[in-house]
Amino acid sequence: MIKLFWNTHNQITPTSNDPNKEDVFDHKWGIYHKHYSDKWIFYLLEKIQYQKIESEKDIDSGDVLIIVDSSVEKKNDLYTKLKLICSKVFLIHLGDESGRHDLSPIYNNCNFVWKAFCTNRYFNNEKVNCLPIGYKSGVVLKNKKNDRKYKWAFIGTPHKSSRHDLLFQLSNIEPSFFYKTKNFNEKIIEVEEMSEILSSTTFIPCPNGFVHPETYRLYEALECECIPIVENSYKYYDRLFPSNPFLKVDKWQEAKNIIGAWDNSKIIKKKNDCKIWWSNYKKELQNFISRKIANE
Amino acid sequence: MNEIKLDEIDKLIISKKIDQAQLELSKLGSEFHKNPEYLFLRSKIFYMNKLYYIAIDTLLIALEFKQEDKIYNLLGEIYATLGNQGLSEKILNPALRFEAVSSVKDMLTGIYKIS
Repeated sequence: MIKLFWNTHNQITPTSNDPNKEDVFDHKWGIYHKHYSDKWIFYLLEKIQYQKIESEKDIDSGDVLIIVDSSVEKKNDLYTKLKLICSKVFLIHLGDESGRHDLSPIYNNCNFVWKAFCTNRYFNNEKVNCLPIGYKSGVVLKNKKNDRKYKWAFIGTPHKSSRHDLLFQLSNIEPSFFYKTKNFNEKIIEVEEMSEILSSTTFIPCPNGFVHPETYRLYEALECECIPIVENSYKYYDRLFPSNPFLKVDKWQEAKNIIGAWDNSKIIKKKNDCKIWWSNYKKELQNFISRKIANE
Repeated sequence: MNEIKLDEIDKLIISKKIDQAQLELSKLGSEFHKNPEYLFLRSKIFYMNKLYYIAIDTLLIALEFKQEDKIYNLLGEIYATLGNQGLSEKILNPALRFEAVSSVKDMLTGIYKIS
């Protein structure tokens, strides 16, 4: 039997003996994934018949296990045990933005791994596939009309120079929506309102994340049929998604020229390209995952 | 010893042997991560590779450890390349640069600061 075990929220309980607050972050992120990555992951697993379980105690000998987890580097014992009990283990590894841990002791216990926040060593790996981090649960397209209220929008934390320059370069292009938050996941704008804003916007600049190029913003923009503008650093997105239609810039001044100058026909064409590409990509990924789990 | 290594890497960068310079920098251990000269060289390479924002972030960190003309000058040059002439001019002006950089850093929550 195929069983699905969501395990991101089961983390070491943080204590005061954790000088770098690593356990605090792992715990916080584990809960974040449980609440906000579920729609994306369940969508990807839609073609697979599985039974959801709540605890590792529900795993029986010979089961095929799909485990969704984070901070796996601290769960060596669990993965060694899973390899002994299950006939196959498929790991969907969320989090790990820094990619600084040697994950081979964990990954060696699995038949196949899908890893979010891809790094060089996994772009062409036989056993590990890069998994887009996906969108925050609840972000959905609210308006199918081509005529959108805002030319561009940005909601997020201006933690580094890229976002500072983005706001400098684009601030004179109106109408726009921007809201600066102090911390990631700060509850200022609810997902419902976020969906409304994104669905009313043409271009979404997607600056790199704090550590890694990928952010949820890109996938939320695609879900809401916006045109994403991503940073082209290290050609990350061309390696993750060869032949993607995103607009790519080395500096935000280039985005200013696009947002300010593109006419309606150019916008509609690019919007359509992005919409079709994302829809096909998601379906192909869904098929790939179900084939892999059936045939591995 | 450290300075000799960094000098050699700088010469590689000047002679446009960027891949070799990058390789040599990557061999240096974590004890260099708070070395302003090391950070400056890394930033120079980022800039040459059009990684403008990583270059700026690295220079802002370097300034935490040492206030040096060449760091401010490269920072000013990058802001000019990005099209932010106003900020570039302030950073290139010795009388205004400290305040200009401080106000940028105050807006950025993710840049390392010596508290």
